[in-house]
Amino acid sequence: MSAAGEPRTEATVEQLVSAGADLRVKRARHPGRWLGALLIAVLVAVLVRSVVTNENFQWDVVGEYIFDEGILSGLVTTLWLTVVAMLIGIVLSVILAVMRLSPNPLVSGASGFYLWFFRGTPVLVQLIFWYNLAALFPTISLGIPFGPSFIHGSSNAIITPYVAAILGLGLNEAAYMAEIVRAGILSVDKGQDDAARALGMKRSRAMRRVILPQAMRFIIPPTGNETIGMLKTTSLVSVIALSDLLYSAQAIYSRNYETIPLLIVVSIWYLFLTSLLTIGQRQIEAYFGRGHRGQAKGGRRGRRLPWSTTAGADQGAAR
Amino acid sequence: MSNPMVIVNEVSKSFGEIVVLQGVSLTLDRGEVMCVIGPSGSGKSTLLRCVNHLEKTDRGVIIVDDHLIGYRREGDALRELRESEVAVQRADIGMVFQRFNLFPHMTALENVVEAPIGVRREGRAAAQERAMDLLERVGLAHRVNSYPTMLSGGEQQRVAIARALAMRPKLMLFDEPTSALDPELVGEVLDVIRDLAADGMTMMIVTHEMAFARDVANRVVFMDHGAIVEQGPPEQLFGAPREERTRTFLLRSQDGAAQGT
Ligand SMILES: Nc1ncnc2c1ncn2[C@@H]1O[C@H](COP(=O)(O)OP(=O)(O)O)[C@@H](O)[C@H]1O
Ligand SMILES: [Mg+2]
Repeated sequence: MSAAGEPRTEATVEQLVSAGADLRVKRARHPGRWLGALLIAVLVAVLVRSVVTNENFQWDVVGEYIFDEGILSGLVTTLWLTVVAMLIGIVLSVILAVMRLSPNPLVSGASGFYLWFFRGTPVLVQLIFWYNLAALFPTISLGIPFGPSFIHGSSNAIITPYVAAILGLGLNEAAYMAEIVRAGILSVDKGQDDAARALGMKRSRAMRRVILPQAMRFIIPPTGNETIGMLKTTSLVSVIALSDLLYSAQAIYSRNYETIPLLIVVSIWYLFLTSLLTIGQRQIEAYFGRGHRGQAKGGRRGRRLPWSTTAGADQGAAR
Repeated sequence: MSNPMVIVNEVSKSFGEIVVLQGVSLTLDRGEVMCVIGPSGSGKSTLLRCVNHLEKTDRGVIIVDDHLIGYRREGDALRELRESEVAVQRADIGMVFQRFNLFPHMTALENVVEAPIGVRREGRAAAQERAMDLLERVGLAHRVNSYPTMLSGGEQQRVAIARALAMRPKLMLFDEPTSALDPELVGEVLDVIRDLAADGMTMMIVTHEMAFARDVANRVVFMDHGAIVEQGPPEQLFGAPREERTRTFLLRSQDGAAQGT
């Protein structure tokens, strides 16, 4: 069928054929896109101007506090808690996920119970619970059940606010991460396990060398998401008197009443850290995507800005 | 005279209600090549997967190189072996799958050295040298550093064969090794298997390639509905089948082959 208004004569076909290889390929025009981009640019300009020139934002105060000692030490606490809680969460979640997939109903049931409990209660409650553990169990001892114990002491001495924070955040995270890891393991083709076992690998080796590395491709994007979530969830530790980034800012504005500028300081830091994490996530994704089409070794095609989200980066954020 | 490499005796197997194998018996001598043919769903894959205990049997015994596979005799009962004990038995039995099942996150070379290093505890240098030899043998010396997705189906299957050979298996199992391949790639894989046969490797091959079976097999087994209907040398089974069902199947697969190409 010919395009409208295009006369189809022998002559035009002949011309086309003879011009053939000399014709250059140009891109299609997208006038709609240009219009949209222009509209967005104008809106952004208006928004930026109204924020930058607005006296009430007090940018001078923001500048004054952005590298404040209290803020920086809160930042370190936030970072530290995020890293340790995520490490605990990831390690424990792999164990929980493998347990959940065990053919032994007792093992799988135990893991199921853990998930049910920790996903079913608010993390804030768990934090307070760990913090007040001494009220329930005045002494803690670690050792062989009904046998000798190796560590023995009062709960108050062992469960410091720091310990309560990493237990509360880490154990809760493990429950969420376990579901991610389990889904990742299940997404690996069954033939991979067959091949590994046919080569004489034991279950544990097949898991470690064959299944988990492939599951990583599915695990990394939501894990990046979880880490970013954790960065902000750590702000809950203010309830057990730990001064993280947000708590440090609150401490300052409760004295000088510069609430808005200090919350801007906090937001800038969170955005900065989130951007760093997003970039790190890309690197790790590229590594575990090796051997898969479209993700050649050493990185992805084209550069991406931190705010251009990847697939899956925004799912599961709500809870 | 040494014992046969494989003895399958009265093996039965069900998946829940579905009976997949019913009293299958066969033997395979050392250096022999057996081709297993039969309609889809007749239990060929399951039989092969029982031989390296990827599937548990419900009844009967499978003996490979004088080892009872998957079980230990305890008086008049069979005690299941632990996973780690079965793994040791599997290390000596190579298997090649219809869908290749190469490890996609490893290069061809890494695929081949993975088990020799991880399972057999061979040194890396020695394992790599041998892997290079094997990849050269299957005609892929120039592809050692490619990831599976960068290889054609025929190349992937040849890597998979090299990967199995790297464990120095006593027995090789092939489950429809060319069924997932484009027609023009079938030949290169069959050539590799022919080469192994000439080398004296003991093999059980499930295949729909009748001409190949006729050419390479010492014995052909025809299965239907989970049982062996007929077995014998290829000349006899293809040339003068005794059973009506065998004749029907062979006729139908000829028609299929004629239509397919
Ligand atoms: N894991 C399984 N669970 C349930 N049924 C199965 C399973 N594997 C195979 N079967 C059934 O067993 C029968 C034989 O399958 P299979 O051994 O794959 O046959 P073939 O390889 O000859 O085509 C089929 O009916 C199939 O549906
Ligand atoms: Mg099959």
